[in-house]
Amino acid sequence: MSGQTSGMIVKFYGVRGSIPAPGPETNEYGGNTSCVTVRTSSGHLIIVDMGTGLANLGTSLLPTEFGQGQGKATILLSHSHWDHIQGLGFFPPVFIPGNQFTLYGHAKSSSMLEGILEGQMNPNFSPLYTLKNLGATFEVRAMTGSTVVEAGGARITGVPNPHGSTTALAFRIQEGDRSFVYASDAGYPDSGPSKEALALYKDATVLLHDTTYTPKDQLRRRNRGFSSYVEAASAAVTSGVSHLVMFHYDQDYADTDVDALRDACRAELDRRGGQKILLTAAYEGLELPI
Amino acid sequence: MRVRFWGVRGSLPVPGRQTNRYGGNTSCVEVRPKGDWPIIIDAGTGIRRLGKAMMETAFGEGAGTASILISHTHWDHIQGLPFFSPFYHRGNEIHVYARQREDTHLMQIFASQTEDPYFPVPLSNLRAQIDFHELMEGTKFPIGRAQVTCTRLNHPWIAMAYRVDVDGASVVYCSDTAPFNDVLLEHEFIRTPPQVGGPLDPAIAAKLAAMRASLVQMCHGTDLLIYDTQFTPDEYRQRPHWGHSTPDDAIMVAREAKVKRLCLYHHAPNRTDDQQDVILDQYRTVIREAGDDFEVLCASEGLEVVLGDDE
Repeated sequence: MSGQTSGMIVKFYGVRGSIPAPGPETNEYGGNTSCVTVRTSSGHLIIVDMGTGLANLGTSLLPTEFGQGQGKATILLSHSHWDHIQGLGFFPPVFIPGNQFTLYGHAKSSSMLEGILEGQMNPNFSPLYTLKNLGATFEVRAMTGSTVVEAGGARITGVPNPHGSTTALAFRIQEGDRSFVYASDAGYPDSGPSKEALALYKDATVLLHDTTYTPKDQLRRRNRGFSSYVEAASAAVTSGVSHLVMFHYDQDYADTDVDALRDACRAELDRRGGQKILLTAAYEGLELPI
Repeated sequence: MRVRFWGVRGSLPVPGRQTNRYGGNTSCVEVRPKGDWPIIIDAGTGIRRLGKAMMETAFGEGAGTASILISHTHWDHIQGLPFFSPFYHRGNEIHVYARQREDTHLMQIFASQTEDPYFPVPLSNLRAQIDFHELMEGTKFPIGRAQVTCTRLNHPWIAMAYRVDVDGASVVYCSDTAPFNDVLLEHEFIRTPPQVGGPLDPAIAAKLAAMRASLVQMCHGTDLLIYDTQFTPDEYRQRPHWGHSTPDDAIMVAREAKVKRLCLYHHAPNRTDDQQDVILDQYRTVIREAGDDFEVLCASEGLEVVLGDDE
């Protein structure tokens, strides 16, 4: 697949927030938690977040070089809340010796980040006991404000957004003049996104933004650190992005609720002067060429 | 009493059209004695909807009491707890029961599930009164009018089976367990699959036989045996060290314990509804041809089984 495409391709494996939501009422958008891939022009695989969507991604990778223990991928971890890490133990390529994964996440040090992921695998919670039993090479690196990651010809930078009592990294993946920004789990203060976050979003080809709530539901759960579609629309217009993608829907929202969320977000974009901004509500299986 | 299934899946929740009928939520069963507070067994993602239903009752006013029996703390059996609404309402009283650990108090394990940086709301911020009760196999204790007994299972880091007797009937919840033939699963990580049907160290064989005998004894004559049947026989041969059984293993226990109904449970995450239909048909034929006089059911989300005086 290398060299066959021009531009990056983004694909969605999990679009739900907080906890997987199985059931007929989520068939259209999907009930798996956060997992998105970016395939660079050179064919390199970048995985953003490891929610339950990671399991289906893993199965789809088995017929490729990852099934032979010859795969290499970069993983970007926005933060380590359970809904963003719980797919790791169910990702078949990570058990195949020879595969190589390099994970970047927000922490003061690489060993602290590794310790957090070890905590998920400890024998009280997981039959895997420790990351050391995974089989594949799994390297963990801390990403701080100034870190720039080069992966498969793309340039990756990150900025921490406030997220309740913690922070979640937003990522920008840039190839030439095209860029994909991933900004999930963003709970801005009343003053809005930071200067650094707006600079990260600036002129993005595609901005994926947290739209967990309607403004009404957000009001009741302010301290959880999520956006409504209003913050997403505002960030998209302020940053001059071309395309806004809605993501991380509340676990209680049925497909019809997400439809309504999308219509309300469209109206909000238009009201703010963003009539030219494309809008997509992410669903499992969606593929977006950048 | 009524037994209702809120989550029937093992290992990982699996949203999607292919699981719409049996359901994609992980383990959670509600046992409701007639006119009494619920006894919940396991707290996989299925407990989220159960909690919402409970909030329509006294739990919504902070006047409810519930008990949660945890088979073991693997993630698919506890991951719904932070989303259990009655925890967030002052006045509710929730009792959590699970097996005692040697090195850590039970409460600490549950506290670490929700501590920073894994979840935004720590256990200490929950408004309900939550009491943790540590158990060892063989413990007998009452919950309201119900009598509860427990015995240990063959699973990594050790799981417990529970029997609840009330309203002139009983239910046994037996998940997760490997059969008792090929490997003893306790605290050690087992890297290489042991040989199925191979020779066992006599001491290990004796320990497994005793564990199975206790389970069969606890299941004796029960109205409903809910059993981990995650694997097909082929899948078991590849992963005998993962701690799950096949319907064949469940049928042998059901037969020896003279149970009235056997319920297949803890379905594999990759099992589609259509595949599950085939498995159920296949094993109904097996027991019919063997002349067994118990019934085989298959757990699905929303399934309710009425037992005893309510029947």
